[in-house]
Amino acid sequence: MVLKIYGFPFSTATRLVVFVCKEKQIPYELITIDLFKGEHKQPAYTKFHPFGQVPYIDDDGFILFESRPIVRYLLKKHASQGTQGLLPTDPQAEARAEQALSIEASSFDPNVSGIVAELYFKPQRGLSTDEANLARLKETLNEKLDAYEVILGKQKFLGGDSITVGDLAHAPYGTLLETVGQGEFFTSRPNVARWWKEVTSRPAWEAVKAECVL
Amino acid sequence: MVLKLYGFPISTCTRTVAATCKELNIPYEFINVDLAGGEHKTAEFTAVHPFGQIPYIDEDGFKLFESRAISRYLAKKYAGNGPKLIPTDPKEEAIFEQGVSIESFNFYPSAIGYAKEKVFKPMFGLTTNEERAAEHLETLNAKLDAYDVLLGKQKYIGGNEYTLADIFHLAYALAVVEAGQGGLFESRPNVARWWEEISNRKAWVDVIEKGV
Repeated sequence: MVLKIYGFPFSTATRLVVFVCKEKQIPYELITIDLFKGEHKQPAYTKFHPFGQVPYIDDDGFILFESRPIVRYLLKKHASQGTQGLLPTDPQAEARAEQALSIEASSFDPNVSGIVAELYFKPQRGLSTDEANLARLKETLNEKLDAYEVILGKQKFLGGDSITVGDLAHAPYGTLLETVGQGEFFTSRPNVARWWKEVTSRPAWEAVKAECVL
Repeated sequence: MVLKLYGFPISTCTRTVAATCKELNIPYEFINVDLAGGEHKTAEFTAVHPFGQIPYIDEDGFKLFESRAISRYLAKKYAGNGPKLIPTDPKEEAIFEQGVSIESFNFYPSAIGYAKEKVFKPMFGLTTNEERAAEHLETLNAKLDAYDVLLGKQKYIGGNEYTLADIFHLAYALAVVEAGQGGLFESRPNVARWWEEISNRKAWVDVIEKGV
């Protein structure tokens, strides 16, 4: 049975799963969950995902949620096909890849998602931007990306000289950050700009952007 | 050369790594980083940890930061030394990863957000933002309702065995309790059962009572 992804085309977490499927040449079926109608909060959905979020997968009856575990599971299951090295197995290379994934989760995602929420999602829902919070988030993201600039001056990618899933994990929210007019976070830093261009110009990511639309 | 753990005694992230080491009987040397003196922002420190945070480890010259990455590395390297903190069966491992991700994205932000407003800011003479604290508390309540459902189906956050996914909750859950909100765990039967068990693990109790 082909892998089923229950998600939303514009959801960053859904897009990460599709990104990895494309990198690894894994066939999938994307079933759209209507977030606007609150489908993700209905019992038929929360039965599979108690937190009522997108996405979750059904891999021949095996249910899994949270995008990063999903992509890890798929990377390990389909290790031999598609793009190699996204999750290294050598202990020290693996540790550095884990460090990169953790950097994305703790230093990038919270600040970028917060900025996007203030600039886009809140106004979309008729709420006003909290300017103090937005300023704080931008300041923090600037500090974090200054550290990225140092790291990426010494190595090609966040986990070393080869691309790993930790780099890919930045693509969905980073792209959304650009969409809300905040691309300068990347462009103003030469090493970050170089890295960002490399990650987002991958054919698999271009394919995600083209395909994951309503 | 014995593993070196650079951190701070009451730092949540340092305690997470210490708990992992103690579960797996990994000998280590704790080296205090002078946060009050700004040691973590010096050029010497940021040369190792570009984000100027704690902890980091130095294992015979191999340096690593990010407490969850450190814990994973140690759990894999010393897999035979104690309980199996990361499963190896593919589906069990996936459920474990789900639990780790749940902690990072569905627990940590509101738990630490609340503790920061109610405990850490006053500790440093800063004013609590009561509105933000209330938002974090509301989020935490909603998330823990989902935890109660999950923990009614599986014994621990990462499956039916105690894993790193549970260890990653310890320091942040303790912060919530110290912020006066232990009732959030106690009022939910499955969460209460789980919290009672994991907070009484010997390795964790050692970290709290004897120090990192």
